[in-house]
Amino acid sequence: MKLTRTKSFKAFAEPAWTNNPINMQMLGICSALAVTIQLKTAFVMTLAMIFVITGSSLIISLMRKIIPGNIRIIVELGVIASLVILTDEFLRAYYYEISRLLSVFVGLIITNCIILGRTEGFAMSNPPHLAVMDGLGNGAGYGSVLLSVAFLRELFGSGSIFGYFVIPQSFYDAGYENMGFMLLAPAAFIIIGLMAWLQKYITGTGEEDR
Amino acid sequence: MSDMAKSIVFAVCMCIVLALLLTTAATALQPRQQQNMEINRKKNVLLAVDLVSRDQRYTAEEITALYNEKIVLFGATQTGAIVEGDRVNDEPVLPIYLYIENGTIQAYIVPIETKGVWGMISGYLAIENDGSTVRGFTITRHSETPGLGGEIERQWFQENFEGKRIIDRHGTFVSVRVARGEVERQVPEEDRPHYVDGISGATLTGKLLSDGLKQVLYRYEPISIRFRDNRIEMPAG
Repeated sequence: MKLTRTKSFKAFAEPAWTNNPINMQMLGICSALAVTIQLKTAFVMTLAMIFVITGSSLIISLMRKIIPGNIRIIVELGVIASLVILTDEFLRAYYYEISRLLSVFVGLIITNCIILGRTEGFAMSNPPHLAVMDGLGNGAGYGSVLLSVAFLRELFGSGSIFGYFVIPQSFYDAGYENMGFMLLAPAAFIIIGLMAWLQKYITGTGEEDR
Repeated sequence: MSDMAKSIVFAVCMCIVLALLLTTAATALQPRQQQNMEINRKKNVLLAVDLVSRDQRYTAEEITALYNEKIVLFGATQTGAIVEGDRVNDEPVLPIYLYIENGTIQAYIVPIETKGVWGMISGYLAIENDGSTVRGFTITRHSETPGLGGEIERQWFQENFEGKRIIDRHGTFVSVRVARGEVERQVPEEDRPHYVDGISGATLTGKLLSDGLKQVLYRYEPISIRFRDNRIEMPAG
Protein backbone atom coordinates (compact mmCIF):
# COMPACT_ATOMS: atom_id res chain seq x y z
CA MET A 1 0.00 0.00 0.00
CA LYS A 2 1.31 3.44 -0.86
CA LEU A 3 2.12 5.79 2.00
CA THR A 4 -0.45 8.31 0.87
CA ARG A 5 -3.17 5.69 1.05
CA THR A 6 -2.61 4.66 4.65
CA LYS A 7 -5.11 5.60 7.29
CA SER A 8 -2.40 7.33 9.33
CA PHE A 9 -1.44 9.56 6.43
CA LYS A 10 -5.03 10.43 5.83
CA ALA A 11 -5.51 11.27 9.49
CA PHE A 12 -2.54 13.63 9.23
CA ALA A 13 -3.06 15.16 5.81
CA GLU A 14 -6.73 15.87 6.00
CA PRO A 15 -6.60 18.40 8.85
CA ALA A 16 -3.20 19.71 7.73
CA TRP A 17 -4.46 20.71 4.31
CA THR A 18 -7.86 19.76 2.86
CA ASN A 19 -9.77 20.33 6.07
CA ASN A 20 -7.47 22.94 7.63
CA PRO A 21 -8.87 24.01 11.00
CA ILE A 22 -8.39 27.73 10.37
CA ASN A 23 -8.81 28.16 6.63
CA MET A 24 -11.56 25.61 6.09
CA GLN A 25 -13.30 25.22 9.44
CA MET A 26 -12.72 28.78 10.67
CA LEU A 27 -11.69 27.60 14.14
CA GLY A 28 -9.02 29.06 16.40
CA ILE A 29 -9.20 32.48 14.74
CA CYS A 30 -8.91 34.41 18.00
CA SER A 31 -5.39 33.26 18.85
CA ALA A 32 -4.42 33.48 15.18
CA LEU A 33 -5.16 37.20 15.29
CA ALA A 34 -3.36 37.77 18.55
CA VAL A 35 0.00 36.05 18.26
CA THR A 36 0.86 36.66 14.61
CA ILE A 37 2.47 40.09 14.84
CA GLN A 38 5.90 38.43 15.01
CA LEU A 39 7.12 35.10 13.67
CA LYS A 40 8.84 34.32 16.96
CA THR A 41 5.64 34.31 19.01
CA ALA A 42 3.73 32.52 16.26
CA PHE A 43 6.43 29.84 16.15
CA VAL A 44 6.36 29.21 19.90
CA MET A 45 2.57 29.25 19.87
CA THR A 46 2.63 26.64 17.08
CA LEU A 47 4.94 24.36 19.07
CA ALA A 48 2.81 24.78 22.21
CA MET A 49 -0.32 24.04 20.24
CA ILE A 50 1.15 20.94 18.56
CA PHE A 51 2.28 19.65 21.95
CA VAL A 52 -1.09 20.20 23.60
CA ILE A 53 -3.26 18.89 20.78
CA THR A 54 -1.11 15.79 20.12
CA GLY A 55 -0.70 15.06 23.82
CA SER A 56 -4.36 15.42 24.65
CA SER A 57 -5.42 13.38 21.60
CA LEU A 58 -3.04 10.60 22.62
CA ILE A 59 -4.11 10.56 26.27
CA ILE A 60 -7.82 10.69 25.50
CA SER A 61 -7.47 8.01 22.84
CA LEU A 62 -5.60 5.71 25.26
CA MET A 63 -8.34 6.15 27.85
CA ARG A 64 -11.25 6.21 25.42
CA LYS A 65 -12.60 2.84 26.54
CA ILE A 66 -12.64 3.65 30.25
CA ILE A 67 -13.81 7.27 30.16
CA PRO A 68 -17.44 7.30 31.38
CA GLY A 69 -19.62 8.77 28.65
CA ASN A 70 -21.52 11.16 30.89
CA ILE A 71 -18.42 13.04 32.08
CA ARG A 72 -16.27 12.73 28.94
CA ILE A 73 -16.23 16.44 28.04
CA ILE A 74 -15.02 17.46 31.49
CA VAL A 75 -12.38 14.71 31.37
CA GLU A 76 -11.21 15.98 27.99
CA LEU A 77 -11.06 19.53 29.29
CA GLY A 78 -9.18 18.40 32.39
CA VAL A 79 -6.50 16.73 30.29
CA ILE A 80 -6.23 19.70 27.90
CA ALA A 81 -6.07 22.24 30.72
CA SER A 82 -3.36 20.29 32.53
CA LEU A 83 -1.22 20.08 29.42
CA VAL A 84 -1.68 23.80 28.80
CA ILE A 85 -0.64 24.66 32.36
CA LEU A 86 2.41 22.41 32.00
CA THR A 87 3.35 24.23 28.80
CA ASP A 88 2.86 27.61 30.42
CA GLU A 89 4.96 26.69 33.47
CA PHE A 90 7.68 25.30 31.22
CA LEU A 91 7.81 28.45 29.09
CA ARG A 92 7.94 30.67 32.15
CA ALA A 93 10.85 28.67 33.53
CA TYR A 94 12.91 28.28 30.35
CA TYR A 95 11.74 30.89 27.81
CA TYR A 96 10.74 33.78 30.04
CA GLU A 97 10.95 36.54 27.42
CA ILE A 98 8.74 34.66 24.98
CA SER A 99 6.25 33.72 27.65
CA ARG A 100 5.98 37.42 28.49
CA LEU A 101 5.28 38.21 24.84
CA LEU A 102 2.62 35.50 24.58
CA SER A 103 1.14 36.66 27.91
CA VAL A 104 -2.33 35.18 28.33
CA PHE A 105 -2.47 33.42 25.00
CA VAL A 106 -0.70 30.26 26.12
CA GLY A 107 -3.26 29.87 28.86
CA LEU A 108 -6.01 30.52 26.37
CA ILE A 109 -5.00 27.46 24.33
CA ILE A 110 -7.47 25.73 26.64
CA THR A 111 -10.29 27.60 24.98
CA ASN A 112 -9.06 26.84 21.47
CA CYS A 113 -12.01 24.94 20.08
CA ILE A 114 -9.80 22.97 17.69
CA ILE A 115 -8.42 20.88 20.55
CA LEU A 116 -11.66 20.03 22.28
CA GLY A 117 -13.17 19.40 18.86
CA ARG A 118 -10.47 16.87 17.95
CA THR A 119 -10.44 15.04 21.28
CA GLU A 120 -14.24 14.78 21.30
CA GLY A 121 -14.71 14.20 17.59
CA PHE A 122 -11.72 12.02 16.77
CA ALA A 123 -9.64 10.75 19.71
CA MET A 124 -12.68 9.40 21.60
CA SER A 125 -13.44 7.01 18.74
CA ASN A 126 -10.05 6.17 17.21
CA PRO A 127 -6.94 4.18 18.27
CA PRO A 128 -3.92 6.09 19.65
CA HIS A 129 -1.71 6.02 16.54
CA LEU A 130 -4.43 7.61 14.42
CA ALA A 131 -5.28 10.09 17.18
CA VAL A 132 -1.63 11.19 17.32
CA MET A 133 -1.51 11.65 13.55
CA ASP A 134 -4.75 13.61 13.70
CA GLY A 135 -3.35 15.79 16.48
CA LEU A 136 -0.12 16.41 14.58
CA GLY A 137 -2.08 17.16 11.42
CA ASN A 138 -4.30 19.69 13.13
CA GLY A 139 -1.33 21.23 14.88
CA ALA A 140 0.51 21.47 11.56
CA GLY A 141 -2.55 22.88 9.81
CA TYR A 142 -3.05 25.49 12.52
CA GLY A 143 0.66 26.26 12.71
CA SER A 144 1.17 26.63 8.98
CA VAL A 145 -1.56 29.26 8.80
CA LEU A 146 -0.20 30.99 11.91
CA LEU A 147 3.32 31.12 10.49
CA SER A 148 2.18 32.32 7.04
CA VAL A 149 0.12 35.11 8.57
CA ALA A 150 2.95 36.04 10.94
CA PHE A 151 5.44 36.03 8.04
CA LEU A 152 3.35 38.51 6.06
CA ARG A 153 2.55 40.69 9.07
CA GLU A 154 6.12 40.87 10.33
CA LEU A 155 7.57 41.43 6.87
CA PHE A 156 5.23 44.23 5.88
CA GLY A 157 4.50 45.57 9.35
CA SER A 158 7.99 45.69 10.84
CA GLY A 159 10.23 44.98 7.83
CA SER A 160 11.80 41.99 9.55
CA ILE A 161 11.72 38.18 9.61
CA PHE A 162 12.27 36.45 12.97
CA GLY A 163 13.47 39.82 14.24
CA TYR A 164 16.13 40.27 11.54
CA PHE A 165 15.61 43.33 9.41
CA VAL A 166 15.38 42.29 5.77
CA ILE A 167 14.16 45.42 4.00
CA PRO A 168 17.29 47.29 2.91
CA GLN A 169 17.83 50.81 4.19
CA SER A 170 17.86 52.12 0.61
CA PHE A 171 14.15 51.23 0.34
CA TYR A 172 13.36 53.38 3.36
CA ASP A 173 15.53 56.17 1.94
CA ALA A 174 13.53 55.94 -1.26
CA GLY A 175 10.33 56.54 0.68
CA TYR A 176 9.23 53.01 1.61
CA GLU A 177 7.34 52.81 4.89
CA ASN A 178 6.31 49.90 7.09
CA MET A 179 2.58 49.28 7.04
CA GLY A 180 1.38 50.11 10.53
CA PHE A 181 -1.93 48.50 9.70
CA MET A 182 -0.26 45.08 9.54
CA LEU A 183 0.43 45.28 13.26
CA LEU A 184 -3.25 45.63 14.10
CA ALA A 185 -5.63 42.70 14.52
CA PRO A 186 -7.83 43.56 11.51
CA ALA A 187 -4.86 42.94 9.23
CA ALA A 188 -4.68 39.34 10.41
CA PHE A 189 -8.39 39.02 9.74
CA ILE A 190 -7.95 40.19 6.17
CA ILE A 191 -4.94 37.95 5.54
CA ILE A 192 -6.72 34.90 6.95
CA GLY A 193 -9.74 35.73 4.81
CA LEU A 194 -7.59 35.94 1.70
CA MET A 195 -5.81 32.69 2.58
CA ALA A 196 -9.11 30.89 3.16
CA TRP A 197 -10.30 32.13 -0.21
CA LEU A 198 -7.06 31.05 -1.89
CA GLN A 199 -7.19 27.59 -0.37
CA LYS A 200 -10.82 27.06 -1.26
CA TYR A 201 -9.99 28.19 -4.78
CA ILE A 202 -7.07 25.73 -5.08
CA THR A 203 -8.83 22.75 -3.55
CA GLY A 204 -12.01 23.60 -5.44
CA THR A 205 -14.24 23.37 -2.41
CA GLY A 206 -16.76 26.03 -1.64
CA GLU A 207 -19.64 26.50 0.71
CA GLU A 208 -22.12 25.23 -1.88
CA ASP A 209 -20.36 21.84 -2.11
CA ARG A 210 -20.96 21.02 1.52
CA MET B 1 -21.00 -0.73 40.08
CA SER B 2 -23.57 1.71 38.79
CA ASP B 3 -22.66 4.16 36.04
CA MET B 4 -22.90 7.02 38.45
CA ALA B 5 -20.46 5.49 40.93
CA LYS B 6 -18.08 4.62 38.10
CA SER B 7 -18.10 8.21 36.88
CA ILE B 8 -17.41 9.54 40.35
CA VAL B 9 -14.53 7.12 40.94
CA PHE B 10 -13.06 8.00 37.55
CA ALA B 11 -13.38 11.73 38.20
CA VAL B 12 -11.74 11.46 41.63
CA CYS B 13 -8.84 9.38 40.26
CA MET B 14 -8.31 11.82 37.42
CA CYS B 15 -8.33 14.81 39.75
CA ILE B 16 -5.71 13.19 42.00
CA VAL B 17 -3.43 12.27 39.10
CA LEU B 18 -3.68 15.70 37.45
CA ALA B 19 -3.28 17.55 40.75
CA LEU B 20 -0.15 15.57 41.60
CA LEU B 21 1.28 16.14 38.14
CA LEU B 22 0.68 19.88 38.15
CA THR B 23 1.90 20.33 41.72
CA THR B 24 5.11 18.49 40.93
CA ALA B 25 5.70 20.57 37.81
CA ALA B 26 4.90 23.86 39.51
CA THR B 27 7.10 23.13 42.52
CA ALA B 28 9.99 21.85 40.45
CA LEU B 29 9.98 24.83 38.10
CA GLN B 30 9.30 27.52 40.69
CA PRO B 31 12.93 28.35 41.61
CA ARG B 32 13.77 28.89 37.96
CA GLN B 33 10.69 31.03 37.38
CA GLN B 34 11.42 33.17 40.40
CA GLN B 35 14.99 33.60 39.27
CA ASN B 36 13.71 34.73 35.86
CA MET B 37 11.41 37.25 37.48
CA GLU B 38 14.23 38.56 39.65
CA ILE B 39 16.50 38.97 36.62
CA ASN B 40 13.67 40.68 34.79
CA ARG B 41 13.20 43.08 37.70
CA LYS B 42 16.90 43.92 37.80
CA LYS B 43 16.97 44.34 34.05
CA ASN B 44 14.11 46.82 34.25
CA VAL B 45 15.85 48.85 36.95
CA LEU B 46 18.90 48.97 34.68
CA LEU B 47 16.72 49.85 31.69
CA ALA B 48 15.22 52.79 33.56
CA VAL B 49 18.65 54.37 33.99
CA ASP B 50 19.71 53.38 30.48
CA LEU B 51 22.50 51.05 31.58
CA VAL B 52 21.22 48.31 29.28
CA SER B 53 19.63 48.69 25.88
CA ARG B 54 16.24 47.35 24.87
CA ASP B 55 17.57 46.09 21.55
CA GLN B 56 20.26 43.88 22.97
CA ARG B 57 20.19 40.53 24.72
CA TYR B 58 21.95 39.97 28.01
CA THR B 59 22.75 36.87 29.99
CA ALA B 60 21.49 36.56 33.54
CA GLU B 61 25.09 36.85 34.79
CA GLU B 62 25.68 40.11 32.91
CA ILE B 63 22.52 41.63 34.34
CA THR B 64 23.33 40.53 37.89
CA ALA B 65 26.93 41.73 37.67
CA LEU B 66 25.94 45.14 36.30
CA TYR B 67 23.15 45.50 38.84
CA ASN B 68 25.36 44.59 41.80
CA GLU B 69 28.03 46.99 40.62
CA LYS B 70 25.90 50.10 39.98
CA ILE B 71 22.58 49.85 41.79
CA VAL B 72 21.97 50.01 45.55
CA LEU B 73 18.62 49.84 47.29
CA PHE B 74 18.04 52.34 50.10
CA GLY B 75 15.07 53.82 51.90
CA ALA B 76 13.79 57.38 51.74
CA THR B 77 12.24 58.90 54.88
CA GLN B 78 9.43 61.44 54.91
CA THR B 79 11.91 64.24 55.44
CA GLY B 80 13.89 63.12 52.42
CA ALA B 81 16.81 61.45 54.14
CA ILE B 82 18.39 58.37 52.62
CA VAL B 83 18.69 55.52 55.07
CA GLU B 84 19.62 51.86 55.07
CA GLY B 85 17.07 49.21 55.85
CA ASP B 86 13.32 49.49 55.40
CA ARG B 87 12.29 51.04 58.74
CA VAL B 88 13.31 54.09 60.75
CA ASN B 89 11.90 54.54 64.28
CA ASP B 90 9.34 51.89 63.35
CA GLU B 91 8.11 53.99 60.42
CA PRO B 92 8.29 52.27 57.06
CA VAL B 93 10.45 54.11 54.51
CA LEU B 94 9.97 54.37 50.74
CA PRO B 95 12.21 52.10 48.69
CA ILE B 96 14.59 54.03 46.47
CA TYR B 97 17.24 52.65 44.13
CA LEU B 98 20.38 54.70 43.61
CA TYR B 99 22.50 54.46 40.50
CA ILE B 100 26.01 55.13 41.73
CA GLU B 101 28.99 55.64 39.45
CA ASN B 102 32.45 56.49 40.82
CA GLY B 103 31.03 57.21 44.25
CA THR B 104 28.48 59.80 43.12
CA ILE B 105 24.76 59.34 42.63
CA GLN B 106 23.89 59.65 38.95
CA ALA B 107 20.19 59.03 39.24
CA TYR B 108 17.57 57.60 41.55
CA ILE B 109 14.93 55.07 40.63
CA VAL B 110 11.44 55.04 42.04
CA PRO B 111 9.33 51.88 41.88
CA ILE B 112 5.92 52.67 40.39
CA GLU B 113 2.88 50.73 41.48
CA THR B 114 -0.45 52.06 40.33
CA LYS B 115 -3.96 51.12 39.34
CA GLY B 116 -4.60 50.33 35.70
CA VAL B 117 -7.82 49.55 33.90
CA TRP B 118 -7.80 45.80 34.61
CA GLY B 119 -5.14 45.43 37.27
CA MET B 120 -2.02 46.92 38.74
CA ILE B 121 0.64 48.54 36.56
CA SER B 122 4.17 48.20 37.93
CA GLY B 123 7.33 49.76 36.66
CA TYR B 124 10.30 51.97 37.45
CA LEU B 125 10.86 55.66 36.86
CA ALA B 126 14.41 56.95 36.98
CA ILE B 127 15.12 60.60 37.72
CA GLU B 128 18.45 62.33 37.14
CA ASN B 129 20.41 63.60 40.14
CA ASP B 130 19.07 67.10 39.43
CA GLY B 131 15.83 65.85 41.00
CA SER B 132 13.65 67.01 38.13
CA THR B 133 14.52 65.35 34.79
CA VAL B 134 13.19 61.91 33.94
CA ARG B 135 16.00 59.62 32.86
CA GLY B 136 13.91 56.65 31.87
CA PHE B 137 10.75 54.69 32.45
CA THR B 138 9.95 51.01 32.23
CA ILE B 139 6.85 48.92 32.74
CA THR B 140 7.46 45.52 34.31
CA ARG B 141 3.96 44.23 34.68
CA HIS B 142 0.48 45.21 33.61
CA SER B 143 -2.78 43.63 32.57
CA GLU B 144 -4.08 46.30 30.19
CA THR B 145 -5.99 45.32 27.06
CA PRO B 146 -3.52 43.94 24.47
CA GLY B 147 -3.31 46.30 21.50
CA LEU B 148 -4.86 49.25 23.36
CA GLY B 149 -3.67 50.01 26.89
CA GLY B 150 -1.22 47.14 26.47
CA GLU B 151 0.79 49.43 24.20
CA ILE B 152 2.32 50.97 27.33
CA GLU B 153 4.83 48.13 27.22
CA ARG B 154 6.06 49.32 23.82
CA GLN B 155 9.48 50.84 23.48
CA TRP B 156 8.30 54.12 21.92
CA PHE B 157 5.92 54.79 24.77
CA GLN B 158 8.49 54.16 27.47
CA GLU B 159 11.23 56.12 25.67
CA ASN B 160 8.69 58.92 25.42
CA PHE B 161 9.40 59.79 29.05
CA GLU B 162 13.11 60.46 28.64
CA GLY B 163 14.05 64.08 29.28
CA LYS B 164 10.63 65.11 30.57
CA ARG B 165 10.56 67.29 33.67
CA ILE B 166 8.54 66.73 36.82
CA ILE B 167 8.70 70.40 37.90
CA ASP B 168 7.67 73.49 35.95
CA ARG B 169 9.71 76.64 35.28
CA HIS B 170 8.92 78.05 38.70
CA GLY B 171 10.08 74.88 40.43
CA THR B 172 6.60 73.68 41.38
CA PHE B 173 5.96 69.95 41.29
CA VAL B 174 3.72 69.02 38.34
CA SER B 175 4.63 65.35 37.65
CA VAL B 176 4.58 63.88 34.14
CA ARG B 177 1.28 63.24 32.40
CA VAL B 178 0.24 61.12 29.46
CA ALA B 179 -1.38 63.40 26.88
CA ARG B 180 -4.51 62.50 24.95
CA GLY B 181 -2.89 61.93 21.58
CA GLU B 182 0.27 63.58 20.38
CA VAL B 183 1.91 66.14 22.63
CA GLU B 184 2.77 68.46 19.75
CA ARG B 185 -0.85 68.79 18.73
CA GLN B 186 -2.66 68.62 22.04
CA VAL B 187 -0.52 70.41 24.56
CA PRO B 188 0.37 74.14 24.69
CA GLU B 189 4.05 74.76 24.16
CA GLU B 190 4.93 75.76 27.73
CA ASP B 191 3.49 72.51 29.13
CA ARG B 192 5.16 70.15 26.67
CA PRO B 193 8.10 69.23 28.94
CA HIS B 194 5.62 67.63 31.33
CA TYR B 195 3.62 65.58 28.82
CA VAL B 196 4.32 62.39 26.88
CA ASP B 197 2.53 61.13 23.76
CA GLY B 198 -0.56 59.11 24.60
CA ILE B 199 -1.92 55.94 23.02
CA SER B 200 -5.02 56.18 20.88
CA GLY B 201 -7.79 53.99 22.24
CA ALA B 202 -6.26 53.95 25.70
CA THR B 203 -7.39 57.21 27.26
CA LEU B 204 -8.29 55.60 30.56
CA THR B 205 -4.99 53.73 30.88
CA GLY B 206 -3.20 57.02 30.21
CA LYS B 207 -5.25 58.88 32.81
CA LEU B 208 -4.79 56.21 35.48
CA LEU B 209 -1.07 55.99 34.78
CA SER B 210 -0.74 59.80 34.95
CA ASP B 211 -2.60 59.93 38.28
CA GLY B 212 -0.56 57.04 39.63
CA LEU B 213 2.75 58.62 38.62
CA LYS B 214 1.72 61.88 40.25
CA GLN B 215 0.78 60.14 43.51
CA VAL B 216 3.98 58.15 43.66
CA LEU B 217 6.22 61.07 42.71
CA TYR B 218 4.45 63.28 45.24
CA ARG B 219 5.39 60.85 47.99
CA TYR B 220 9.01 61.07 46.82
CA GLU B 221 8.97 64.87 46.64
CA PRO B 222 10.93 65.37 49.92
CA ILE B 223 13.85 63.44 48.49
CA SER B 224 13.49 65.02 45.04
CA ILE B 225 13.66 68.46 46.65
CA ARG B 226 16.90 67.48 48.37
CA PHE B 227 18.30 66.36 45.03
CA ARG B 228 17.27 69.69 43.45
CA ASP B 229 18.95 71.65 46.25
CA ASN B 230 21.97 69.37 46.16
CA ARG B 231 21.55 68.44 49.82
CA ILE B 232 21.81 64.69 49.49
CA GLU B 233 23.62 62.86 52.21
CA MET B 234 24.54 59.25 51.84
CA PRO B 235 23.99 57.05 54.87
CA ALA B 236 27.16 56.28 56.74
CA GLY B 237 29.00 53.17 55.66
